[in-house]
Amino acid sequence: METGIRILLLTALLTALPGCASVRDWYQHRAERRAAARAQSAPPPVSESPQEPQDENAPPRVIEPEVARRKIKVPRIRNSNVEVGLDYGVLSIEDFGTHPVYGITAAYHITEDFFFQAEAGRSRGGRTSFETLSGNIQLLTESERRFTYYDLSLGYNFLPGEAFLGRGIAMTNAFYLIGGIGGTDFAGDTKFTVNFGAGYRVVPADWLALHVTVQDRVFQSSLLGATKLTNNLEARIGTTVFF
Amino acid sequence: MTARLRQAALASLVLPGLLLTPAVSGAREYLQLFVAQPYLELHTGPGRGYPVFHVVPRDASVDVLFRRTDWFKVRTEHGVEGWASQRDMLQMVLADGSPFRFGVGDRAGFNSHRYEMGLFAGAYGGANYVSGYASLSFNSQLALEAAVGQFLGRFSNGVTGDVGLTHVIVPQARWSPFLTLGVGEVHIEPKATLVQAANRTEQTAYVGGGVRYYLTRRIFVRGEYKAHYVFTKRNQNQEADEWKLGFAFFY
Repeated sequence: METGIRILLLTALLTALPGCASVRDWYQHRAERRAAARAQSAPPPVSESPQEPQDENAPPRVIEPEVARRKIKVPRIRNSNVEVGLDYGVLSIEDFGTHPVYGITAAYHITEDFFFQAEAGRSRGGRTSFETLSGNIQLLTESERRFTYYDLSLGYNFLPGEAFLGRGIAMTNAFYLIGGIGGTDFAGDTKFTVNFGAGYRVVPADWLALHVTVQDRVFQSSLLGATKLTNNLEARIGTTVFF
Repeated sequence: MTARLRQAALASLVLPGLLLTPAVSGAREYLQLFVAQPYLELHTGPGRGYPVFHVVPRDASVDVLFRRTDWFKVRTEHGVEGWASQRDMLQMVLADGSPFRFGVGDRAGFNSHRYEMGLFAGAYGGANYVSGYASLSFNSQLALEAAVGQFLGRFSNGVTGDVGLTHVIVPQARWSPFLTLGVGEVHIEPKATLVQAANRTEQTAYVGGGVRYYLTRRIFVRGEYKAHYVFTKRNQNQEADEWKLGFAFFY
């Protein structure tokens, strides 16, 4: 009985198979696909190749093309994001008077808005009013009066605009806010210093900039008895060069 | 007084040299680009706030003089010089018609870049800490890093220098954590009021980790912790914790 059913089912299957799309003409179909793949992977027709044996009926070639592919060298674009310069100004050291200060700055412009800046400067502290009034008492030695600072800061450009000099000259300019941290070596000790301020930059040429900067350098000092935060205001003018 | 005179003389020598250097850099070959968009706007300065004063029509060419942040100084065929934005420059084409492509500071750059620099504020062994670092990436995950710092505390001041490797775990994530391992040196200057106040320089090794967070353009925030082991010449080694947070940029 079971054998009969099996034979019946197999017969039905055999009759249905030739009608099935996936099986019908499978052999021819595979041969076609193989040929197509061979045509794709094969090198382009060799008719342009000079090694090709000349067809006797073809006209002789007059010009042998000898075209060497030119290598195009694209010139590099110079980046000019680094600004280095010198500055000079006055520094008011709390309790020690106002004295000239000079320094160097280096900045890297990250975007049109933000820049990193490193600064170092040197000034000199004068006599405190206590020293002046009390006669011959010296709070600090001469070398201890040297005021040296450095800082790493982040700057933010705002209010961009143009400054006009007469009718013919226009120079781009911008204000900037700056703030950062660093160290100050004064009175025989190096103090952690926070600085913040603002500046004005005018750019007369693409490679040159002039700056006016006002900054406050704040550090803790216990030199005159009580520990207090000292504010040391600084105003400078400077010139920088873009590289 | 002589020292000051000498410094002034040195400054007066260096400054004109610095100022003259770019002026005498000489003629160079510039990249020529063609305007493929309807027109190219030229601004008076390298920033979106500077006004547009000139437009270059389609198919005209410009020479690219140099680049400052995301702005390109270009010169037209008629000799007009102005600043074109990065967004506009991305629509320009080269002489052979292919699009002009260059490195832009974006998320893709954050995921994979060559150099990084940054500055930090933090604490080192309880003292205030100022630090900066630079790194060179071998691929998007592994980088060689060098960091220097100065700690300024109540009991001692000093400077540190570290060199190590950093492994960024998931570079494509906006919050991307990393691990770091390396060696260094620390120079400690105890405050004079303490006994045994001798300056000393010690070898260190550190292990740490942190996280980077992409802010915008080329800028990201980076927070970091390092556990330093200071190999002293005394019986016991010391440990110092370093915590820091700061801004960094890549290019």
